[in-house]
Amino acid sequence: MTGQSCFFRLSKGLFTTMKINPPFVEKVLCAFIKEELSKFHYSRGIIGLSGGLDSSVCAFLAAKALGPKNVIGLILPYRKTFSEDVRDARSVARRLGIRSRLIDIGPMVDAYFSRFPARDKIRIGNKMARERMSILYDLSAKEKALILGTSNKTELLLGYGTIHGDTACAINPLGDLYKAQVRELAAHLGVPEKILAKKPTAGLWLGQTDEGEIGLSYEEIDRILFRLVDERQTPEAVIGAGFRRESVEKIVFLIRNSEFKRKMPPIAKISSRTIGHDFLYPYDRNR
Amino acid sequence: MRISLAQVAPRLGNLQKNLELHNYFIEKARKKKADLIVFPELSLTGYTLMDMVQEVGLNPAKAPLFKRLRASSREIDIVLGFVEEKEPGLFYNSAAYLSKDQILHIHRKVFLPTYGMFEEGKFFGQGKNFRPFATPFGKMGLMICRDFLSFGAGYILFVGGAEVIVVISAAPGRGFSNEGGFATTRMWELMGEALSFFSSSFVAYSNRVGFEDGKAFAGGSFIYNPLGNLIAKAPGVDEQMIIADLDLEEVRSARKKWPFKRDDRPELLLQALQRIVHDDED
Repeated sequence: MTGQSCFFRLSKGLFTTMKINPPFVEKVLCAFIKEELSKFHYSRGIIGLSGGLDSSVCAFLAAKALGPKNVIGLILPYRKTFSEDVRDARSVARRLGIRSRLIDIGPMVDAYFSRFPARDKIRIGNKMARERMSILYDLSAKEKALILGTSNKTELLLGYGTIHGDTACAINPLGDLYKAQVRELAAHLGVPEKILAKKPTAGLWLGQTDEGEIGLSYEEIDRILFRLVDERQTPEAVIGAGFRRESVEKIVFLIRNSEFKRKMPPIAKISSRTIGHDFLYPYDRNR
Repeated sequence: MRISLAQVAPRLGNLQKNLELHNYFIEKARKKKADLIVFPELSLTGYTLMDMVQEVGLNPAKAPLFKRLRASSREIDIVLGFVEEKEPGLFYNSAAYLSKDQILHIHRKVFLPTYGMFEEGKFFGQGKNFRPFATPFGKMGLMICRDFLSFGAGYILFVGGAEVIVVISAAPGRGFSNEGGFATTRMWELMGEALSFFSSSFVAYSNRVGFEDGKAFAGGSFIYNPLGNLIAKAPGVDEQMIIADLDLEEVRSARKKWPFKRDDRPELLLQALQRIVHDDED
């Protein structure tokens, strides 16, 4: 049995589980969004809405935390692709009563690749993710709205995101929830069934699915990650618990190779006091 | 005695704003005729200070801010948390008990968590003692957060005669519990329940709320009576104040019923401890 393991044996209340209590998580995350924004003297949040699960959940939380009038959803498709997702993103915005704006990133992306043609789908996809980031940051400044990140724990651990692209944000309410937990929260929040049932995709190209690209199901990935990360089990122990060796090894490999996406770049230390080494301040300094 | 626990969210590194926060809750508690108000760990400064420790340290004997807080303690006793610059350049994570314009006691945190998400050992000096002290309301003992999870520390306060054990805390919530809420919340209650019962003392735990760098402080402040019964609990993670009346007579009746204190033999335990400590080969 996965998803429940012993934290301390002394009391049932001390078990940690993979199963979340959605009303509690909603409350904590809404409080987080509200408090972080107010610390930085912002009342508005801005979110890139893809029509997928994570950004929809983030929009639902933000609308609750800040009020729908204070949330802006940016829908940033490339040309006419993913029209179904655009419709879903619009329906989330409508349902929540948040402001939404659609900007086609086609002209910007094409302008670059017409001068420097590329065939590599990943390069093109990453460029698109960074184009979206660039627009989000520009409108963040224009609208005085902080960017709410939508990367979940599964993606962040596997490094399944574009550095300085979809992982860029001011605060991230979802980064400590595995995909399965985001789905649990989504059901509680009332995210439309259609979005809940979608195959997760990074939307880098048509027909791409996360599971297809990673080669494992989210169900399996999350259960393995929970053991490796939250429970600090060794890969051998996870394999011993009945998980496929190749899956566990692949996940361990992906985690190890994506540390750079989760950190600020190292600064060469040569002085007596150096940013990141021994000049150490919290993000929320004097807030 | 009437005790109030102020489950507040201090501003990180902002002494002035936090002084206002203290004054607000002190006034609120005073209006409710509380005899004592207990603020959480590092309530004057916030928790995740890192290098700011050196910027917000106060010497309570000299700092004007303490003079003002001491003045407030003419009407109500106050327990609060702060960065203490005990000697020039030496900083501690400390708790002060203020009463009638005096500093009755200062406890310096002994167990500084330095693992995983915690870095206290990097920024603070280590306290050395657990010393119960007399207050207008009987003998009390102070602990700060992780101190409380050492049953040895609680035992020392028990042996020293504490009737009310006051714990101030800045404990972040961690892990999902199958009971709802954070899994770690139960850990603190478990110690509160056990220590209050086996020491026949009141245990009051004041934990903070709010967020710092993404950490959610879990609140859940509580009070147990000397029979190990929960008599007050702050629900959830919201800023609030809870109040309870403690009848010190209950310490006496609990100790008549359960003679843990009478039968305790600290001198034997000390000898046994010394043997263990001396024989311990690294």
